[in-house]
Amino acid sequence: MFAEFVEGPFWYFSLGVFVVGVAWRFITMLRFGTRRDLSVARASAAVGALRTNLSRFLPRREVAGRIRVPVVAGYLFHLGLFALLLFAAPHVEFIKNHITGFGWTPMPHWAFILASEAAFIGLLVLWLHRVLNPVTRLLSRADDHIAAILVFVVMLTGCLALFQSFDGLRVTHLFLAELLLLYFPFSSLMHALMFVPSRGYTGASLGRRGIHA
Amino acid sequence: MTAKPAGEKSQRKPHIGRWLVCLLAVVLVVPLIPYTFADRGNVPNPGADLWREVRQREAPVTGTTQVKGVDTGVLINIRGEQWRQFRMQTLLPAGGMVLGAVVGLIALFYLVRGTIRVPGGRSGKRIQRFTEYDRILHWSTVFLFYLLAVTGLVLLYGRFLLIPLLGPDGFAVTASACKEAHNLFGPLFFVVLVLLVINFIRSNLPKWVDIKWLLKGGGLFGGHASAGYFNGGEKIWFWLVTLFGLAICVSGFVLLFQNFDQGRQLMEISHVIHSSLALLLVAGSFGHAYIGTLGMEGSLESMTTGSVDANWAKAHHDLWMEERAAKGLDENAAPSPEQQSPPGKTAPGYQT
Repeated sequence: MFAEFVEGPFWYFSLGVFVVGVAWRFITMLRFGTRRDLSVARASAAVGALRTNLSRFLPRREVAGRIRVPVVAGYLFHLGLFALLLFAAPHVEFIKNHITGFGWTPMPHWAFILASEAAFIGLLVLWLHRVLNPVTRLLSRADDHIAAILVFVVMLTGCLALFQSFDGLRVTHLFLAELLLLYFPFSSLMHALMFVPSRGYTGASLGRRGIHA
Repeated sequence: MTAKPAGEKSQRKPHIGRWLVCLLAVVLVVPLIPYTFADRGNVPNPGADLWREVRQREAPVTGTTQVKGVDTGVLINIRGEQWRQFRMQTLLPAGGMVLGAVVGLIALFYLVRGTIRVPGGRSGKRIQRFTEYDRILHWSTVFLFYLLAVTGLVLLYGRFLLIPLLGPDGFAVTASACKEAHNLFGPLFFVVLVLLVINFIRSNLPKWVDIKWLLKGGGLFGGHASAGYFNGGEKIWFWLVTLFGLAICVSGFVLLFQNFDQGRQLMEISHVIHSSLALLLVAGSFGHAYIGTLGMEGSLESMTTGSVDANWAKAHHDLWMEERAAKGLDENAAPSPEQQSPPGKTAPGYQT
């Protein structure tokens, strides 16, 4: 009964909320528009947007030493998570059956284990940095902690259900993933999609003035 | 010739039948006569040797087989039963008693001694003790250690403790999930443990003052025991975590990566080492967690904020404070969060 609900109506509901919610966030952002800059452009805004989008993947030299741990953890977590999300064999099968109608070659089991280890340790260290560093602790809101915990339990239940020995574990994982879809558009998790326009806006507005940001 | 009467012919048939029955009985019984009079104790059962070899009641025997692999020549592993009996009859009860005894002793100690307060009260001056990297390593280790401890204890004791609560089906799901989590997080614990050891090993090298500290019982029962950056108790815990932890990790890898042809016997020994040391380490961690939280005022702050009160540092790590004073480090000790922030606000109160 619960499994049918999770795999049926609740899946379509959460997917719908996710799609509509993300679209609404983007439309809201675009409707803000940009302030008209009457000054003469010193450099290309588009190049500035592109430069900032790429340059922000690396920490600034002045602070690189101090933030080495969260930077390494951030890469471990994000690369591991996206490898799991897009290339874990059960996910490829799920996407093929429920979303796209086609699949692709999944990663082997050993790669799944490595990706999940990287994602787990990365997320754990990032969260510890958030609560142990006085600056990030003050900047953090309940939303940030909820997002971290939700992502953690989704990943955890996914790994527990890896061999699909018990359907209950798989259904629990799917249910939590659906909660994540519902939470995503209204939380700081939106940075997964917003980081490109956000960096682009900053880079474009500064790049137009000739500042390398 | 006169014809024989019909009645005579009919009387002969049963007579022949009786002879045939007797002959059959003789054929069947006569060969048994020697066995009847023989000394049965000296007659070996021709099948006994075969089945003794198969069951290997006396010693493991390796036979030959077409199947190529580790232990494929062993039909029944006799040491598996010995391992099973050790697990069920020794390891589980002894482990339970150790864990229970440690919890009981800590509770008794708390009732007698209570929380050890900061001597002279809080000074209001904060002393930087651990960096953010130290604390991230510590709490990562704590998180992974207790995740592995809980999942490991479920695998060890769940059959007795959880089946009555969850039922067989519920326990099967829980045990499966715990096994996967244990296998997944075990290698991560190894990585974090190695980083922790590398980070803290220099400040945990034993010194003569640590022996004196231990002889005075760490000042827990009165008197003052001098200590440097880490005291004797902390150093013992560090080396227990290091040595037991690495042994647990190595034995865990033997159990986890079965594709290296290690064989059943090595895996049984590894399991005994893995679970015995893990139970001892879990029991030890209760003491470490107690003294770091409930047992001693001001200790937990060192791992949450990274700083400690100056009076706490003087009371528990006086030699470290003397070193700092000699270097002139404490002239700029940060004021406490209470002094630094307006009422109702919190402040970090330490430098990273």
